[in-house]
Amino acid sequence: MEMEKDARPSWDNPMQFVLACVSYAVGLGNVWRFPYLCQMHGGGGFMIPYLLMLILEGIPLFYMELAIGQKMRLGSIGAWSAINPYLGGVGIASVVTSLYLCLYYNVINAWSFWYLFHSFQSVLPWAECPVNSNQTGYIEECEVATPTQYFFYRETLNISPSIDDNGRVHMGQALCLVLAWMIVYLFIVRGVKSTGKVVYFTATFPYVVLIIYLIRGVTLHGAMNGVKYMFTPKLEQLADPRTWINAATQIFFSLGLGFGSLIAFASYNHHNNNFERQAIVVSLINSSTSIFASIVTFSIYGFKATFNYESCLERMRLLLLNTFDMAEDTITLDNVDYWITELNRTHPDQFANLAPKLDTCDLVAELDTAVEGTGLAFIVYSEAIKNMPASQLWSVLYFSMLLLLGMGSMLGNVTAIITPLRDFKVLARNFSNETLNGLVCVFCLLLGLGFTTRSGNYWFTMFNEYGATFSLLFIVLIEIITVSYVYGLKRFEKDIEDMLGHRPNWYWKIMWAVVSPVLLISLFIFYIVDYIRGGTPTYQAWDAVLGKSVVMEYPWYGQAFIALLLVSSVCCVPITALYAFCKKKQKEAKSVPRHEHTVSTVSVV
Amino acid sequence: MWMKLLLIVALAGIYTQAKEDGRGQISGEVEEARWRVAESPDAFKVRLSLKSALGDEAYTWNENELYLFRAAMAYTMRQYYMAEKGQQVNFTSENIVTSEVTPRISFFFYVTNPDAAATITKAEVEAAIRLSRGRINSAFLLSDDTLEFVGLLATLSPPAEPTVEVWLIVFGVVIGFVVLVGVFLIVSGFRNRRKRKLKMDDDDDEGKAGEEIESGGVTNSGFEEEDDRRTQL
Repeated sequence: MEMEKDARPSWDNPMQFVLACVSYAVGLGNVWRFPYLCQMHGGGGFMIPYLLMLILEGIPLFYMELAIGQKMRLGSIGAWSAINPYLGGVGIASVVTSLYLCLYYNVINAWSFWYLFHSFQSVLPWAECPVNSNQTGYIEECEVATPTQYFFYRETLNISPSIDDNGRVHMGQALCLVLAWMIVYLFIVRGVKSTGKVVYFTATFPYVVLIIYLIRGVTLHGAMNGVKYMFTPKLEQLADPRTWINAATQIFFSLGLGFGSLIAFASYNHHNNNFERQAIVVSLINSSTSIFASIVTFSIYGFKATFNYESCLERMRLLLLNTFDMAEDTITLDNVDYWITELNRTHPDQFANLAPKLDTCDLVAELDTAVEGTGLAFIVYSEAIKNMPASQLWSVLYFSMLLLLGMGSMLGNVTAIITPLRDFKVLARNFSNETLNGLVCVFCLLLGLGFTTRSGNYWFTMFNEYGATFSLLFIVLIEIITVSYVYGLKRFEKDIEDMLGHRPNWYWKIMWAVVSPVLLISLFIFYIVDYIRGGTPTYQAWDAVLGKSVVMEYPWYGQAFIALLLVSSVCCVPITALYAFCKKKQKEAKSVPRHEHTVSTVSVV
Repeated sequence: MWMKLLLIVALAGIYTQAKEDGRGQISGEVEEARWRVAESPDAFKVRLSLKSALGDEAYTWNENELYLFRAAMAYTMRQYYMAEKGQQVNFTSENIVTSEVTPRISFFFYVTNPDAAATITKAEVEAAIRLSRGRINSAFLLSDDTLEFVGLLATLSPPAEPTVEVWLIVFGVVIGFVVLVGVFLIVSGFRNRRKRKLKMDDDDDEGKAGEEIESGGVTNSGFEEEDDRRTQL
């Protein structure tokens, strides 16, 4: 009976495990990072490096992490300590990186909640500028920027001009963050038993919304302009090394390798679960979702660009009509350009007066504005949504989808922390599941409140760029070298045979032993070189007067904090190795005198 | 003798010419040269966008429509004087001086005072228009942006109802639901664990009894497997 209490909980069925992995891997990056990369690196041609990297590093590394988790049946700390006592630090580094990720990732969910709740209004608040205090005009900041930017930077974030100006906590944001953490807590409260039920929803509902949005998106006026423009392959981009580097890093981060979440999820599997097939399935689902999401994104881009282009033409048409007092139907949207040249020829003086107000309307320039990250999700998308008919409905659907994608990834992030913690018998005995999980959530919530202050978004960007990028590369590099060379591929093969019934074939072995480590080392070197060459790290600060973002350098404490972020997770590995080494030396020193004692007693006897 | 006749004819000619001129002068007061009306400091430019407002059902602009405009403006001025100054000043369509209408359907106008020989100031006309804007618009089946008085400072619509409440309501509903579910899960978790502990205490007692009964009993392979897996780690 005692053993039953301590028996490791497990998924109710393998489907839950697959859905958990899908829910974790398919996240916000599929929606807001991949379409940007696709656009920047040659549209349809980007598929070639992307799919190649999937085969060369994505699937093999994913398979490796699942194998470790399922074999060791422990979280990342326990698993790596078991593989090699000197490399237990890799597990600790994973937990530290997951902690950083948990801290800032849920803030995105808080923003999604904020936007979702604000969608229940007859006029979306980011559709129009608010009127100023004496009702003579619109608020200046909103006039200089756009209403969607104003809503994001002023009303949602209440952002300060630079990272130095800390402000008070934004109450609305703080409330939404509390709600986000409460929901995450509910999802994981009983560990894998509750997570397993929740993932049926978090993994599948985003696809429902994506399909609905796909249908809506491609039927929008001008959507085809976007899709055609973005997907036409520009194969010359393949010659640029950055294309290949970005493809590699995107596959890497998109699959969520190195955080310990996959190891944690797999540790709850039955010993003979066929994770090989599942690894391939989940990786392919993740990549196809990225491609699917970019079709939706590009059709919305196309709609937005066409809308802006036609509004520009309409503005020019009215300007010409009103200045030259011509009948309304002489100029239509199609012949605006013709009339511009014509009127310039016939009435040059009057036209010269008009020149400052005249904008050039260019569809391709509109399509070329490429945005990624929170800017894409919360500014560009909301701008497109406000122009759709029945915009409240589309807004609610869209932000619910963002929420589910984010929550699904949070499940994995938090599981990566609590699984290793629960593996420590001390904690598991004294704290129930609910209490331990609750403590972790409260801890992350309190620290996360720092991101809801007025300068919070700048710290958020810092964490996003430095908290989990470089350290992950390092962690996974150590992982693959450990498995291939320290633990040994032979032992690893045997373990897999033990679990699956057959050995991994030559493709896997070549990838693990040669290709993936080489790729990872080159990515690692590239990151270091790029960081050194980049000079002082900079960030984008929102200038309320100009109504746009300006580049600023981080102050000294910002740079120190970046260094701290990078070093704190990476140095876990050497420190733990040193600690294990010292402990071994201590144990050896203690056991030697005892041995002598035994020998002497034997000789006496 | 014939010189006198010539003089009479000339005078008659001058008189009729003057009369014609006079008539021309009267209608010229109403439809003066565009530039002269526009020059007046108290003139407003009016612009109508019939096609964009009404599409296919747009009516054609003609003299009668312009007359309607003048009548509507006269009405506006009368209402303004009545409301603001308490006076009944009988403006007529002839007090509204308009210029030629361009193909765009735009023209200038200013208002003259029927009682005195002066133009009504632009500020007063503006105030009058603001008062009766809705009525003027509806006379032409147009709206504020299709019947434009160029230069009229638009009063922006007052901000919508304070919208903080709406999002707080939705937030309150969601968080209330979450708290309820959370409390239910935690409480049921504790209760289940207590029930299981009680059951296990009972079973433990039974187990001890069982062991006494089955001394040197059969090993339970289920537990052994667990052990093996453990040591592997």
